[in-house]
Amino acid sequence: MQLGEVLRTATFRLTLAVVVAMIGTAALQFAVGYSQTKAFEFRRTDELLHREAALLAREQKQDLEHKISERATDDLRVVINQAALFDTAHRHIAGDLHTWPEGLVVDGHVHEVTVLPNEDAPYILRILAVPVAGDRVLVLGRGLHMIAEWRLMMRHSLLVSIVPTVLFALLCGIVLSHRALGRVGRMHEAIDRIMDGDLHERLPAGRQRDEMQRLAGSVNRMLDRLEHLMGEIRDVGNDIAHDLRTPLARVRARLDRAQAGTLSADDLRTVIARSIDDLDQCFSIITALLRIGEIENARRRVGFSVVDLNEIATDIVDLYEPIAETRQIRLAFHAASGPVPVHGDRDLLIEVLANLIDNALKFTDPGGDVTLATYPDGQGGARLEVADTGIGIMPEERQAVMNRFYRSDKSRNVPGSGLGLSLVSAILRLHNAQLTIANARRHDARPGALFGVAFPPSAPVAAPPA
Amino acid sequence: MADRTMNATSTSEPFPQGEAGPGREARPRVLLVEDDGKIAQEVAEELESRGFAVRHAQTGRDGLAAAMAETFDVMIVDRMLPQMDGLTLIETLRGRQVPSPVLVLSALSAVDDRVSGLKAGGDDYLTKPFAMEELAARLEALMRRPNNTRETMLHVGPLSMDLIERTVTRDGQPIELLPREFRLLEYLMRRPNQVLTRTMLLEDVWNYRFIPQTNLVDVHIGKLRRKIDDPAGVPLIQSIRGTGFMLRVPE
Repeated sequence: MQLGEVLRTATFRLTLAVVVAMIGTAALQFAVGYSQTKAFEFRRTDELLHREAALLAREQKQDLEHKISERATDDLRVVINQAALFDTAHRHIAGDLHTWPEGLVVDGHVHEVTVLPNEDAPYILRILAVPVAGDRVLVLGRGLHMIAEWRLMMRHSLLVSIVPTVLFALLCGIVLSHRALGRVGRMHEAIDRIMDGDLHERLPAGRQRDEMQRLAGSVNRMLDRLEHLMGEIRDVGNDIAHDLRTPLARVRARLDRAQAGTLSADDLRTVIARSIDDLDQCFSIITALLRIGEIENARRRVGFSVVDLNEIATDIVDLYEPIAETRQIRLAFHAASGPVPVHGDRDLLIEVLANLIDNALKFTDPGGDVTLATYPDGQGGARLEVADTGIGIMPEERQAVMNRFYRSDKSRNVPGSGLGLSLVSAILRLHNAQLTIANARRHDARPGALFGVAFPPSAPVAAPPA
Repeated sequence: MADRTMNATSTSEPFPQGEAGPGREARPRVLLVEDDGKIAQEVAEELESRGFAVRHAQTGRDGLAAAMAETFDVMIVDRMLPQMDGLTLIETLRGRQVPSPVLVLSALSAVDDRVSGLKAGGDDYLTKPFAMEELAARLEALMRRPNNTRETMLHVGPLSMDLIERTVTRDGQPIELLPREFRLLEYLMRRPNQVLTRTMLLEDVWNYRFIPQTNLVDVHIGKLRRKIDDPAGVPLIQSIRGTGFMLRVPE
């Protein structure tokens, strides 16, 4: 992992931003503190100068001259850095300031003046010049050394505190970035393996619940679903190949026998009739597969309108009555009173009902019952139920029944494509309707299957997710 | 069994040979307007083998030109066509007084419905994928208009149906039929000697458009057959293997 890569990570950039903010804050703190201190110091200096000047102005001429030249008072030694007496022509009389500072005006205000001594470096003084007895000017000055010291101290403490903090923050940034990069790197490797075809591979997911882990978790769940779908398609492919192969093999074997030329005309006709039956079986599977594909591709919401479930059910029961009768099954319809409106495609809903009844009749023994019922669900939606008295569907098989292209082993030997329920699922998905499977009866060796369909409210529904 | 197989062979010809002989002119002419080359080829080959003369057009405009230049007994028009879509083509043809019956083909995934196809002037509607027998039977049905006269009595062989009284007799003997059986028999009696597929019966008698997983129609026909057939005589309703049924008028 290269340093450049580390420096480009979001974590490191965030760290940099934090460091800049920290330095900015410290600098601001320093600047404010300094300016406050400076203002305070100026005020104090000016007060001192005025007080001292007032005190000294009251002295006699000789006393003053003496005090200035000898620096006889404590104040003159400690508080005042420079003191001198000049005459009105700015000529030096006494004191340690030998030349009249340039720019100094005798106006009773404190001035900030740069003093240029002969031998030393120039320095800044706050100077007050006041007239005193004997046509003289008293000049008192105080340096800014306090502030300079203060500034030095603050700069020092700033450096001492900020530099290690910044270094520490940068180090943390690099370490964190490095770790994040490591995790991303491991994810990249996992994704590469998945793209190479290893669908069992998953992104590394630890126990932390941070954003990266959550993302990894989502991706893993997506991969689970994809793997499941791929497996389904593979299984379906195998199943369908098998289902097509069996009747085709029978046709082939019969044709072989027919070709041998030893069969009588009647036998030949039987061979042909059975072969046509087998081929029809193949066609019905292929047609059902194509139809499921068409329905799943379809967005034919345009054909949707409000249809009455009761009306459809009444018609379909009329259609299926004779076949139920020939199989000695009672087919009953318990209609909700009043219309049961749902929003959908009449033809497709008929297909759903027909397939559900068809399926129920297939798995119910003679003497049994197949019962249809409709209910409004009280919230604008509707419920449809088809119950039978057959062997029922095992709970572990129920989910699979609703999957795409599901074929039960039980349905494999029953005529028809065996894809009726897959068609039902596909159509119901288009209608945003929910298909549930349960036992029709309790505590029975033959619990029967109960197919329930919950339709959403019959107000126009939004387009399904693609 | 022998009879049925024989029937299947003879009825797969749109017109029995006896009527017009094997001459080219006797072959019914079909215009197929379909842009999918593979489907068009399959359909054309199949129809040729069943005795139709097929003219293929790839686009709506070609189809229109062909339909204006020649007369066809029946037309097959795909709904989705380049240049001019199927419905516009049919509307244009109807606007120019071309009377040939039209069968509309459509993919289920195309956003459409049967009603708009029929409104535009189509006479029948078939959704892809379809079986060739289905297509052939429907073309045949389109070319032979059903007996939709305003007569109140229908007669086919020994059967008589009174459409007002809702009664049916066989050789003068009344037969009790359920309403659904009556509807089914009426449909058959309006189309005697014509192959009717299970899908056609479901669509026209019950107004359903789906392929049942079971032999639903067969059961209904079976029930009806037991009521109207003379157990000793030749069955009136005959099964056409792999295709459907036919109400056959005894010679």
